[in-house]
Amino acid sequence: MSLDLTFIGQIIVFLTMVFILSKLLYTPLNDAMSARTQKIADGLAAAEAGKSAQADAEAEVKVQIEEAKQKAQEIVAAAERRALEVSEEATSKARHDGELIIQSAKEEADAEEGKMRQGLQKEVASLAVLAAEKIVEAELDANKHSALIEKVIADGVSA
Amino acid sequence: MAEHGHVEQGQAEEHGSSIADHLEYWTYKFDETNPFMQIHVDTMIVTATIAMMLVGFALWLRGKIIEGAPTGAQNFVESVVDFINTTVNDNFPVHNPIVAPLAFTIFVFILLCNTIDILPAYLIGNIAHALGAPAFRPVPTNDLNLPAAMGVSVFILVLYYEFKLKPVHFMKELVMEPFTSLVPIYLKPIVMPINLILKLVEEIAKPLSLSFRLFGNMFAGEVIFLLIASLLLVGSFEELMTVGGMISEVMGILVGLAWSFFHMFIGLLQAFIFMILTVVYLSIAHQPVEH
Repeated sequence: MSLDLTFIGQIIVFLTMVFILSKLLYTPLNDAMSARTQKIADGLAAAEAGKSAQADAEAEVKVQIEEAKQKAQEIVAAAERRALEVSEEATSKARHDGELIIQSAKEEADAEEGKMRQGLQKEVASLAVLAAEKIVEAELDANKHSALIEKVIADGVSA
Repeated sequence: MAEHGHVEQGQAEEHGSSIADHLEYWTYKFDETNPFMQIHVDTMIVTATIAMMLVGFALWLRGKIIEGAPTGAQNFVESVVDFINTTVNDNFPVHNPIVAPLAFTIFVFILLCNTIDILPAYLIGNIAHALGAPAFRPVPTNDLNLPAAMGVSVFILVLYYEFKLKPVHFMKELVMEPFTSLVPIYLKPIVMPINLILKLVEEIAKPLSLSFRLFGNMFAGEVIFLLIASLLLVGSFEELMTVGGMISEVMGILVGLAWSFFHMFIGLLQAFIFMILTVVYLSIAHQPVEH
């Protein structure tokens, strides 16, 4: 239980051990551990970044889908509007054409009527002139009065 | 010492028959007249063996250290390293790359030395005796030389850092604190030497308490093992065949087993205490000067 040369020997053993173990065991292990800690931290950060990137992408996809939906609706609405316009145009055009046809037919009929009326008037006038001529002739020749009328009527009927 | 002569009648003269015999070292004397000029061969052999095993383990592990998920031995040693790092980081105000490896070595080395005590008390001594050694103490922490060597090494390191980091402050503290700074100026020359002596006692108590705590705990544990063995274990086959001998033997084994568990716990605790006190003493030396 006394201090002796063992004490010196133990100091040498102890200091050598501290030196060797710190070089061979502690430092490599500590380096490996801190490298691992760094790796884990990097991995977690990368995972976090990936997660947020995915969230961003998902949000982007949502926005795009929403936009596409809206665009499609707009297209459909425009098409419907166009179809309506086209059909309305066609209807109005048909109506217009009909009106034109009716109008032209009316005009034609009117023109025909006028023509016929003119012809009739002319005929009646010539008939009256003829009758008047005959009457005037008969006045001049009383004898031939009755015979004349009869002749006019006969002419008229025959005409 | 309680010589169990009733157990080993006729063999009492043989080595290993008393507790005191088991507390002898295998000593090699360089100079018979000078008690300092001798060496405890058993302590040196065991510590050198442990040191070489540790170095061998370190070399073996070094090639297999991976940065990925650790397994097996690396995992175990890493948990120890992590524990030491946490302890050092909790206590240290500044970063010093020496402290953690030092604390790691102290913890592992003392723990391994203490763990040798799990072997049966007489086993290694008897084997060594059979091989021709005059005596053999297997647990090196039972030898005051090992705790003292470590304690003194740590103390010298503490002094080195005290003088390196804050020489003026440290010298001033030796003569001024805690008394000299309290007394009036004309009393200071008288109080200074007293203060210095008290302060020196305080400083020298550090390595003394550090080494004697470990030594005392391990030595007492060893003595209790020897007491259990000498009081309860029977010495001969004839005695084992008697009822009393059988009961005594069973009791001895049970009590020895219980003390083994407790002693292993003490060994772990003492290794931890030595390690943490080293860290604390060094951290006090690193403490920045307060104004």
